Amino acid sequence: MSDEPLADALRTSVGEVLENMFFIDSLDEVAPAGPECSMRAWLPFEGSPSGILTLEVDGAAARRIAADFLAAEESEVTDRQVGDVICELANMICGSLLSKVESTTSFRLLAPRILPPGAAGAPEDPGGGESSTVSLSSGMLNVTIRMESPACPKAPEFVY
Amino acid sequence: MAYRVLIVDDSPAMRTVVRRVIELSGFDLSDCFEAGNGREALNLLEHEWVDVILTDINMPEVDGEEFLRRLASNDLLRSVPTIVVSTDSTENRISRLLSLGARGYVTKPFRPETLREQLETTLGVPNE
Repeated sequence: MSDEPLADALRTSVGEVLENMFFIDSLDEVAPAGPECSMRAWLPFEGSPSGILTLEVDGAAARRIAADFLAAEESEVTDRQVGDVICELANMICGSLLSKVESTTSFRLLAPRILPPGAAGAPEDPGGGESSTVSLSSGMLNVTIRMESPACPKAPEFVY
Repeated sequence: MAYRVLIVDDSPAMRTVVRRVIELSGFDLSDCFEAGNGREALNLLEHEWVDVILTDINMPEVDGEEFLRRLASNDLLRSVPTIVVSTDSTENRISRLLSLGARGYVTKPFRPETLREQLETTLGVPNE
C-alpha cells in the first residue's frame, strides 16, 4: 500500500540532498525497475519510528557522485571514499526524510553499511516500503525506506 | 580576524566537504582541524585552541551529545562555541542539544551561505 505523504517526502528529501550537498540537479524520477545497481548502502534507524533505508546506485554513478562531493577527479577517488560518500548520502537522505515526517519524535540513525548485491551476510530484503528512483547523468539511484510503524506526516506542506 | 575551526565528524568525506564549504563560502578561516569523534576532539583540544567547533551527533565512542556534556564540564573549554551539524532536525533533538550547550544548529543538507551565516552569527562577526 502506498503512503503518499511519505512517498512525497522521500522524493523531496532525495532531491534536496542531491541538489544542496552534491550539486546534482535536473533529476528525473523514473520507474523503480531496471537499474543494475552495483553498490548498496543499508541504514537502519531506531526510535519512533524504527526501520531501514536502503540506497542502491550504479557503480559509475557512485564514483561520479563521490568525485563531485569531494571535488576530485574520478580517477583519484578510492573505493573506500566512494563507499564513505554513498553512506553519507544515505545518512543525509534518511535524516532529512525522518525529520520531515516525524518532526516531533526522536530517532537515531545507526551506522550505514555498504553491501554489494548478493553479498554473504547481507540483510534479507523484506520488500515493500516506499521508493524513489532517479536517473542521474551517470546512472540510476534508488532509495527505499521501510518503517515498522506508519509515519505521521506533519503536513500540510507534504500533502499535495 | 581569521578563525580557527574544529570539525568533528566520523565521516572523512563529510569533514572534507564541510571544510571545503567553509573555504568556498568566504568565511575568514585561518586554521581548520578535524576529529573523527568527541574523544579525538577532546584530545586535540588539549593542545590546540579553536574559536568554534562544528560537530556531528551520531559518532562512535564519544557522540555529539556526550561531547557537549564534556565541553560544558570543562572550565577551559565551555566557552568555546559549538555548532551542531546534523541530518536530524527534529524538535526534540534540537531542543536537547541546545540545552546541553550547543550555540547553533545547521541541518544537512545545507547551503554554503547557511553554514557561513551560522558561523558568523555564533562568533558575533559584524556584518560588512
